[in-house]
Amino acid sequence: MSRLLLPILFGALFIVESLFVQYTPADLFGDGKIFAPHFLLAGIIFLSVFGSKKHGIIYGFVFGALFDIVYTEILGVYLFLFPLTAYFASKAMRVIHANLFTASGVSLIAIALVEIAVYWINLLINVTDLSFVNYLEIRFYPTILLNLAFVVLAAFPFKWQFEKFAEELGND
Amino acid sequence: MPQFFLNKRLIVLLVSIIILVALIGFSLRERSELTWPEKFVKDTTGWVESLVSKPAHFFAGFFQNLEDLQNTYHENKELKTRVEKIAELEKQVQILEKDNKELRVILDKKKTLRDFKPLQATVIGRNPDRWQEMIIIDKGKTSGLKQNMAVIGSNGSLLGKIKHVNQFSSTVQLLSAADPKNQISTIILGDTSSYGLVDGYDKEKRLMVKRIPADAKIKKGQLVVTSGLGGVFPKGLLIGKVVEVKPDQYGLNQTAYVKPGANFYDIENVMVAKKTMRVPEATDYLESKGEGQ
Repeated sequence: MSRLLLPILFGALFIVESLFVQYTPADLFGDGKIFAPHFLLAGIIFLSVFGSKKHGIIYGFVFGALFDIVYTEILGVYLFLFPLTAYFASKAMRVIHANLFTASGVSLIAIALVEIAVYWINLLINVTDLSFVNYLEIRFYPTILLNLAFVVLAAFPFKWQFEKFAEELGND
Repeated sequence: MPQFFLNKRLIVLLVSIIILVALIGFSLRERSELTWPEKFVKDTTGWVESLVSKPAHFFAGFFQNLEDLQNTYHENKELKTRVEKIAELEKQVQILEKDNKELRVILDKKKTLRDFKPLQATVIGRNPDRWQEMIIIDKGKTSGLKQNMAVIGSNGSLLGKIKHVNQFSSTVQLLSAADPKNQISTIILGDTSSYGLVDGYDKEKRLMVKRIPADAKIKKGQLVVTSGLGGVFPKGLLIGKVVEVKPDQYGLNQTAYVKPGANFYDIENVMVAKKTMRVPEATDYLESKGEGQ
């Protein structure tokens, strides 16, 4: 049963992101602001911090691929960025002591970096023509705020769940 | 130096960057069809999403209903004043429709660019990354959908077009997507109609209709509809209302800023417009060229 728990959890996060943008009103943070949920990435970072690095990278890879195929239709972007940030997050945790606050901080930094990297790629391939200043104002700050709220809510359940998972891995 | 190349992680990183660039390049090509693994994944996730989205629609509808109840009194008052005008309009429409039908019979011209068969579809997902404005609907090739068909919102105005079809689901690119390939031929209705192309969506949530001839006189408040020319879009689908007109960079053309009639957020049900008139194919153009010679 516990073997199935993680795929179900991440699958749920994957779908919740899509439902979230479908049902939240357009002007949650004021008119014209765009906020993108990165709940899945937050989950992956927490998994690689409290669970295991290997699993973090694998889940990052699989759900990055799913995200690219199902949602964005531009292959490669999240497929590459999710495992990469999971890897660096677990690296960073060797230096920092892992607790709720540092893990939340690291996952927010990861979200910010991925968000900026995706902006940069989209600018390169002409999906967007926003200038960086406009991008920060319209997209970046609302997105960080939204994900901060999510991380605050989800940090404890994530930590609890993934530490349990790591223990089970150790017992096997 | 040898140590630099022996660093396994660095090589993995470099290889994956190369793969990343190759994959992005591959997916940016003008693709008429997705590859089968993509289709398979999309159909599978589409099935799961449609399972989840139905109860979600129900809950969202419940809260929407509560909100509606609060506004009922106010709306009722306003609507009553409009109803009287509608009766008058309806009468006119009926007369005109009848006229139109009779004249068509005389001319023996039965099909128009305007005719289409609507097909109802439910939205089961939306791109959370929100760079490409795309939604996923629960009808696909098995329901007869094809690439580039027009998608209409619940209030009858144009929402976007179908980007890719899978067996049981398809992705719709909304008009609000900033895609240079997303051009739609339009008519700006007025005493003399002028043609333009929808091309882009600006920060203030207005669509830009470009390439309108410089001598066309366009005023604020004129309606913009699809022209039905050059493809699978039926004629006469509402796009929006002109709010501003500006000459373009070189003064040869004008750009109209259009407030879209559709709400690009909070979309639940859409209609896909299947044009009943035959859609021209690439070979048609070739044939007519041959005749000209």
